[in-house]
Amino acid sequence: MKPDDYYAIYTEKTHRLGRIVSVMTLCMLVGAPFLMGKYLGASPDVNAALRGFVSVGLVWTVSSIVEFLVYTPMLGAGGSYLAFITGNLINMKIPCAMNAREMAHTKAGTPENEIISTLSIASSSLVTILILAVGVLLLTPLQPVLQSEALQPAFSNVVPALFGAMAYKYFRKDLRLAVIPMGIMSILFILMPSLTGSTSMMILPSGAIAILLSYIQYRKNRENRA
Amino acid sequence: MRVIDQLSSPYMYLLCGGIVLFVALVCVVFLVRAWKAGRAIGMDPVVMKRAVTASATFSVLPAIGILLGVIALSGSLGIPWPWLRLSVIGALHYETQVADAAAEQVGIHLSASEMTAGGFATIALLMSVCIMWGMILDTVFGKRYLKQLNRNQNQTNRKQGGFGDHAMTAMFIGMVSAYLGSYLGSFVSENGLLTFTGNWVPLLVAGVSACIMAVFTYFSEHRNMQWLDNFSIACSMLIGMLAAVLTGLH
Repeated sequence: MKPDDYYAIYTEKTHRLGRIVSVMTLCMLVGAPFLMGKYLGASPDVNAALRGFVSVGLVWTVSSIVEFLVYTPMLGAGGSYLAFITGNLINMKIPCAMNAREMAHTKAGTPENEIISTLSIASSSLVTILILAVGVLLLTPLQPVLQSEALQPAFSNVVPALFGAMAYKYFRKDLRLAVIPMGIMSILFILMPSLTGSTSMMILPSGAIAILLSYIQYRKNRENRA
Repeated sequence: MRVIDQLSSPYMYLLCGGIVLFVALVCVVFLVRAWKAGRAIGMDPVVMKRAVTASATFSVLPAIGILLGVIALSGSLGIPWPWLRLSVIGALHYETQVADAAAEQVGIHLSASEMTAGGFATIALLMSVCIMWGMILDTVFGKRYLKQLNRNQNQTNRKQGGFGDHAMTAMFIGMVSAYLGSYLGSFVSENGLLTFTGNWVPLLVAGVSACIMAVFTYFSEHRNMQWLDNFSIACSMLIGMLAAVLTGLH
């Protein structure tokens, strides 16, 4: 079988499998609270859950739509099904897949990128599941060390540590492209510090500015080459 | 028996552990399929192996951070449920916020002493429902969305990577800019406009982490030590986090 034909069948089967396991995971996750409630002798208060959804859930719904639109093209079929099932996208899966992609020198939208993203997200998820399982097993003896006051600043700063390293990696690729979104975001957050509570929502305008600038640059380069 | 004790009972471990195991198996299946497909389309196994190794090492530190999230939530929700939530679908920054909002709606505080059976079931339901939309959208529209995106690239672009590749890098630059901007904004204006008295530790950590990354990149690119790429992000993060610990000592 030709590689292109093999890949087409692989993609088709990935979508089928991804959809089946996503629906199964969803059923398990929504069903679990009811099963646990039954064990505890109580049912979830659906009205209270609805009120809670209106107060915080709508924000997360918008965030989920943005994540779907932005990350699905980055990760491809297999990677996105796995990433949405296993979660922790911004703080782990996306940087992890981008890092793997950089190392493998693959381009978005290519079969190679699809394979590398899937390998990356699957390995990352397995490591996370393993560490959490071992951690849960050892939770009691580990608790004093991990919760020691001296280590708290380290674990409160996992995300800044991640984005510092990624900033160097990506900004050096195109410093001119980074200047404007970085400048605009800095000014916005300085003038409206309350926005820090919605940083994940600010990714959208910041990303849109960067993509627009990148497109202008891309068109210009193409015209120069023509 | 107190509700908080029941929340860490063998039944709860079995229920949550079963779902975690299912997801782990799904990951293994996807990993094996992708590996086989990579070989079939002619990809270099060394490159694929490097992607797996780098992703695994990359994930160790964030996973320990996530484990801390499990510990933080275990005080009020028991161990199994936070373990499941943060192994599957959840996110560290999301869980506490939603659990707290749900507790408020059932009239309790998120604490072991106030936890009730009904309160817990409601909190667990809201935590599940609020963040499931990414998975639903991907299930319903993912295939169509990706096909549409691929249609917009001609065959040549597919092989060479067209604007899509630039867009992904740009999106990532935008994402990093938003986070770094928020750290800068917190430091400069957190306690009043342009007071420069806010929390400076995230900025320092990001700066240290970026510098260490620069050192790794130098050795990788100029000293022919590409194997360092496997550890560059994890080590940069670790040293950045160490800087945060050192600031706490003074």
